[in-house]
Amino acid sequence: MSDATLPAVLVIGVGNRLRADDGAGLEAVRRVRDRAPVDWLEVRELRGDPTELLDVWLGREAVVLVDTMRSGATPGTIVRLDASHEPLPALERRGLSSTHATGLADTIELARALGRLPARVIVYAVEGRRYDAGAGLSREIAAMVPTLAERVLREVGSLRSVTAQ
Amino acid sequence: MSEASRRRTIRTDYLARVEGEGAMYVRLEGREVSEVKLRLYEPPRFFEAFLRGRSFTEVPDLTARICGICPVAYQMSSARAMEDACGVRIDQGPIRDLRRLLYCGEWIESHSLHVYMLHAPDFLGYPGAIEMARDHRDIVEQGLQMKKAGNALMTVIGGREVHPINVRVGGFYRAPTAAELRALVDPLERARETALATVRWTSALECPDVQIEPEHVALADPDGYPIDRGRIVSDRGLDIEPAEFDEHIVEQHVAHSTALHARLRQRGSYLTGPLARYSLASPALRPLACAAAREAGLDAACRNPFQSIVVRAVELVQATDEALALIGAYQQPDAPAVAVEPRRGVGHGATEAPRGMLYHRYEIDEDGTILDARIVPPTSQNQRAIEEDLRAVVERSVDLSDEDLTRRCEQAIRNHDPCISCSTHFLELTIERE
Repeated sequence: MSDATLPAVLVIGVGNRLRADDGAGLEAVRRVRDRAPVDWLEVRELRGDPTELLDVWLGREAVVLVDTMRSGATPGTIVRLDASHEPLPALERRGLSSTHATGLADTIELARALGRLPARVIVYAVEGRRYDAGAGLSREIAAMVPTLAERVLREVGSLRSVTAQ
Repeated sequence: MSEASRRRTIRTDYLARVEGEGAMYVRLEGREVSEVKLRLYEPPRFFEAFLRGRSFTEVPDLTARICGICPVAYQMSSARAMEDACGVRIDQGPIRDLRRLLYCGEWIESHSLHVYMLHAPDFLGYPGAIEMARDHRDIVEQGLQMKKAGNALMTVIGGREVHPINVRVGGFYRAPTAAELRALVDPLERARETALATVRWTSALECPDVQIEPEHVALADPDGYPIDRGRIVSDRGLDIEPAEFDEHIVEQHVAHSTALHARLRQRGSYLTGPLARYSLASPALRPLACAAAREAGLDAACRNPFQSIVVRAVELVQATDEALALIGAYQQPDAPAVAVEPRRGVGHGATEAPRGMLYHRYEIDEDGTILDARIVPPTSQNQRAIEEDLRAVVERSVDLSDEDLTRRCEQAIRNHDPCISCSTHFLELTIERE
C-alpha cells in the first residue's frame, strides 16, 4: 500500500565504497540526486544491511535500486531488471561483496513474501571488474557512471508518469 | 560391495545461513566416520598485520570492520585492551553503562537475525527465511521488529547501525542525551515482549535430545550476566584473567581452514558462546530472563546445541530488559570519554560477542604506536568443538540418506552460529626456491 505523503519514487544506491567497483551504484545515485532536485523523488544510499530495505521502501509506489553485479558480463555492462513480479536472476544473488546472510535479491524475495514490496521494483546494475578492499572505481566502471545515472533518470521519469496516474 | 566397505562422502561446498564463506566435508567408510572437516575458505584479511604501525586510538574503528554483524564486540574488546595497556579501567559509571547498552543493541540485532532468519527455518523444515516467510509471515515480522529495536540502539549510541563510528578508546565521542535514549523505550518494550514470546515459541520447537561434551568457557562478571568484561572461567576449573589467555589457550594452523583452531593447552577443544555463557552464568540473568528460561524448561546449564535457539531467545530477553534498565537509570555524563594517555606496554581485553568470547591483545610503544596485535574471535575458538559435534551428529545419523544427512550436518553447524568472516586470520605462505 502506498503512502501519499511520501515522494512517489525512491531511488536507492546499494554498495560499499570501500570495495572498489561495489561503490558504482552509490556514485550513480549521487549524480541522480544532483540532477533531479524534485519533491516527488527521494534518493538514498544503502551501505549496510540490505534488510533495512524492508522498512526503507515501505509505503512507496515505485523504487529503483542501483547496484553493481558480478555476472560474468563485460565490465561496464549495464542491465535493467524488473523485480516487480519475479525474482532477480540467480546470477545476481552471489554478486555482491557482502558476506551477510541476506543479499539484495534475497531481500526483495523476503519483502515479496511479507507483502512489503513496492508495486514497481526496478534494478539497474553495472558489471564491476574488481571488488577487492579499497576505495575508488576501476576506470571503465567510473566511465559508465554518467550513463548509468542517465538511464536511472529516464526510468524515474517514466515511473513518475505511471505513478501519477 | 559390502555395507562395511561402502564409502560415502557428504560435502557442502557453500554453507548457507552462516556468516561468511565456509564448506563442510565428511567422509564415511561404511558406518565409520573417517574424516570431518569444517573448512573456512573466506580469504585471509591480515587485520593483525596491518594494525601494526597504526595509532592505539584507531583500533575501535579499524577492528569494527572485521564484522558487519558484531562490530561492537570488536570495538569493546579492542578499547578495553588499549585502556588496559594504558593503565585505565572503566568498570563502572555512565560510560561503562553506555557501552553495555550499545552491546545490548548488538546482541539484539545479531540474535534476532540468527534465531529468526538463519536458525528457525531448520526447525520448521524450510530451506531458508524467504520460504518460511511465505507460510509464517508473523514469525519473520517478529524477528524483523526485534532486529529493528537493536538497530535503533546502535544508531542512537553508535552513530549508525552497522560499523558504529562513535566509539573511542576511553569511551565515546558523544554521549546521547537522556531524551534520545528515552525515545527507544517504546520499541524496546515491544521487543522485550516479543523476546518473551520467542522463548515460549522456540521452547516448543521439536529438538533432538543430544548432549555435547566440550568444556564451556565464558567470562564471569561479578556485576551480572557477562557482556563487556570479566575473568575467563570454565566448567572444568579454568579461572584466569584475560592477561593469562596465552598461558592457557593456544591457536594452531590447520591445513583445511583459513581460521586458526584454538584449544586449551591442558584439555583441548572448548566451546564459547550462548550455551557456555548460559551454562556458566544463568544465575546472573536478570529475573525476567531467568523466569523465561525456567518456563521454557531449561536447566541451569544447557549442553544441547539444538537448544541454543532457546538460549539465544533467553539472551534476547536479557538484552532487551537490561537495555531498558540502563536507559531508565541513565544520566548523561559530563564528559563522553575519559582521557587515555599512551605508555609502553601490553594490554588485554575480552568481551562476550553474541557468538562468544572475543579476546584482543595489543603491544604499544610509548607514543601509542601498535607494535603487535592478536585477535581471537569466538568462531576460531569454537571450530574444533564444532567439528567434534559434527562428527557425533554423523555417527548418530549414518542411516539417513545423503540428502537428509547433509541437511542434518548443516543444521548442526548452524546451531553454533559460526561467524566465518570474523574467524579467518591469515594463511601461512611458504615460498620454496631452488
